[in-house]
Amino acid sequence: MSLLQVESVSRHFGSLVAVENVSMSVEVGELRAVIGPNGAGKTTFFNLISGFLTPTSGRIVFGGEDITNLLPARRVWRGISRTFQLTEVFPELSVQQNLRIAVEIAAGYRLRPWLSRREDAAVSIRATDLCNKGGLANVETRLVGELSHGDQRATEIMMALALNPRLLLLDEPTAGMGDQETYNITRLIRQLHRDQKLTIVLIEHDMRVVFHLADRIMVLAEGRMLAEGTPREIAANERVQAAYLGQA
Amino acid sequence: MEMSPKRGANILIWAVLLTMPYWINWIGGYTSLGSRVMVLALAAMSLNFLLGFTGVLSFGHAAYFGLGVYGMGLTIKYLVPSTVAGTAVGVVAGAAAAAVIGLLIVRLRGIYFAMATIAFGQVFYFIAYRWNTVTGGDDGLSGWHRQPIDLGFAAWDILGSDRAFYYWVLVCFAGATGIMAALLHSPFGRTLLAIRENERRARFLGIPVDRHIWLSWMISCFFVSLAGTLYALLNNFADPHDLRWDQSGDFVIMAVLGGMRAFWGPLIGAAIFVVLQDYVSSQTQNWMSFIGLFFVLVVVFFPRGVLGILHRPSSR
Amino acid sequence: MTQLILFNLFNGLIIGAFYALMALGLSLILNLSGVINFAHGGFLAIGAYLAYTLTPYVGFWGALAIAPFLTAVLGLIVERVLIRRLYGRDPLYSLLLTFGLAFILEDGTRYIWGPQTLPFSVPDWLSSPLSSQFFFLTGYRLFMVGLVVAAVAALFLILSRTRLGMRIRAGTLDLETVSTLGVNVRVLRTLNFGLGIYLAGLAGVLAAGMLGLQPTIGSALIMPSFVAIIVGGLGSLPGTLLGGLLIGVTAGVTTVFVPSASEAVIYVMMGLVLLVRPRGLLGEEGRF
Repeated sequence: MSLLQVESVSRHFGSLVAVENVSMSVEVGELRAVIGPNGAGKTTFFNLISGFLTPTSGRIVFGGEDITNLLPARRVWRGISRTFQLTEVFPELSVQQNLRIAVEIAAGYRLRPWLSRREDAAVSIRATDLCNKGGLANVETRLVGELSHGDQRATEIMMALALNPRLLLLDEPTAGMGDQETYNITRLIRQLHRDQKLTIVLIEHDMRVVFHLADRIMVLAEGRMLAEGTPREIAANERVQAAYLGQA
Repeated sequence: MEMSPKRGANILIWAVLLTMPYWINWIGGYTSLGSRVMVLALAAMSLNFLLGFTGVLSFGHAAYFGLGVYGMGLTIKYLVPSTVAGTAVGVVAGAAAAAVIGLLIVRLRGIYFAMATIAFGQVFYFIAYRWNTVTGGDDGLSGWHRQPIDLGFAAWDILGSDRAFYYWVLVCFAGATGIMAALLHSPFGRTLLAIRENERRARFLGIPVDRHIWLSWMISCFFVSLAGTLYALLNNFADPHDLRWDQSGDFVIMAVLGGMRAFWGPLIGAAIFVVLQDYVSSQTQNWMSFIGLFFVLVVVFFPRGVLGILHRPSSR
Repeated sequence: MTQLILFNLFNGLIIGAFYALMALGLSLILNLSGVINFAHGGFLAIGAYLAYTLTPYVGFWGALAIAPFLTAVLGLIVERVLIRRLYGRDPLYSLLLTFGLAFILEDGTRYIWGPQTLPFSVPDWLSSPLSSQFFFLTGYRLFMVGLVVAAVAALFLILSRTRLGMRIRAGTLDLETVSTLGVNVRVLRTLNFGLGIYLAGLAGVLAAGMLGLQPTIGSALIMPSFVAIIVGGLGSLPGTLLGGLLIGVTAGVTTVFVPSASEAVIYVMMGLVLLVRPRGLLGEEGRF
């Protein structure tokens, strides 16, 4: 069953065409990678799915419901959560507090002026649990803004996960990371995919990561879809090779 | 864990506020000055709920403060001679105006939000200024005074005794700051911190940001109009300047001076500001220049405020 | 009645031209540097009083030429010494700083020139009515409208034709790119600030001839200028111009029917605009 269905969406900025007539269907439990040269429209495409932008034309269906024009917060409530290319966290709050906020929102407490002792304890346990899963136990009380790039990124991913998403969108999760950090994040993503059967769509530049993780790959170039298929098919595709070689 | 420094500071602050009328004369002050500090501190702390803990800059809070002032004055003068009724009218007037204006401006951000709050703030000033027959216009609303509070078994004579009035202010101050502190430590309060820290992240965690900013704005304006009602009682007078943009600026500078990331920061700022103003205006004609210079110096040399310098931006 | 409406309409247009001139300067600074210049009214007052002081020596025309220029120089100094350190910081700080400056300028004006209203004389041939029926059409008022039109035209020419102007406009859209192209952003902001203050000084000289000289002349004009910017559209200079004229005329016409509401009405108008179109009449999407 397909969880997310993008039906020939386009997005124009004035005369500039960022995304043109792109379609995509993502199955439950699938890990889909979106790749393409710089300026291919990958991030715009992501923004259309997450509601940061609305498409000029086309339709987006999630879990059988048309979400094309929903506000971002409403998409989150329906189970889409995302990370950003430049990590977006709460820098002057601790890791624990960052996660706590996400957990409370997921529990439906965002307007609550107080919590019972039991609710409070449950939130703490869940936040600590996420902290451990993200390998952040040793920095739990530090301010996120003071952490390494990798730990900030891990915090962001764990916040997105705290929302119990049905679909996780990761925009270049390993961008700007060293080898060790890339390895850690990749392992985390694979765990989520394998163990929790989470549906994930990710944009990624590092081809090792993409071919290691993805079930299927979609290639964008100049706002259009160039190819789509399994990693093996994409590796063998001549047009994809041309696009990448042509760019280099 | 024994007693945390934070808990110690709280106990110290409440001890000082509770006993102030009994020693303020010894250090050269007077009880009304203490009341004034607390009233303006409440206003600045209410503003800071929005400014320091939601990250939204309002430069027009005097409007809602002033509605509290006039709500109190007009009620006692024309409707019922009751302090409690005046408080209710003032607070409802402030909150109602804030609700409508909040809806209009909640989609603006940053400096544009600030500019819209400044501009909207002026409406009420012009109304108070122009509607001579009711508000007394530029001369202000006089010819009324605060009324003793009937507790059923006894009357609380806040008119006859400055000290009694001080404790009425303290009761309101404690209630308002207690509620604000509790809110900031709740899940709702944390969504506001989230918006301050990173609006984009907040939105993509599923927080309807505009709605939460509106709520924070309402809470802030509600308590600032409560401070306004107290200010009216303090002076037994309603002055159109209480509604004007310079008054808004005073609230902001108090919050910044004390430290806007600290809950008690604006209290410290208000204390310094009020005492300084009291002293300077008795010494010179050119107090405007001094206040202006004071603003400049604070911004240039002291942007993080007194409490901001004492402790790093920790996790509160 | 028609004459009364015409009178107030024309009056509104003149006041609107003031608002526009002042708001354009504010807008320039706001768009490029992200600073709400609360002290703009203070600079306007300085411009007016300088003209008053200069007139006995250089005449009205000399004062009109020199006073705005001197005001701009003062603006440049203030920018270099104080405002520059706050670029890139929370806009709260520049707002507080210019707020304090507004106090200092107003009080300073009062200290130097005294609190009383001073007469400011314009040349006789300018101040007499042109027709007895339309007594309000003095030469000075027409001249003022003409000068504002010329100043606005010159401003838009500078912005669209000169290198400085094009850089200012580009910087407004995307400061980072402009700086990577090798433009000195600090100098650009300083000159832009000076240009904005020049407009305030010019508005000051004109206002002096019409409203008379008072230390509070500036603070009375600044709030409507904010309203003009919001109504016209955030980030749009033509919008600011339109907004200024619109609220001037609205206030003028309201004076005919409900004189006491002439000040409040522009805020009602701002509320309506924000309700229907939060970005303002000509504001670009996504710039707020």
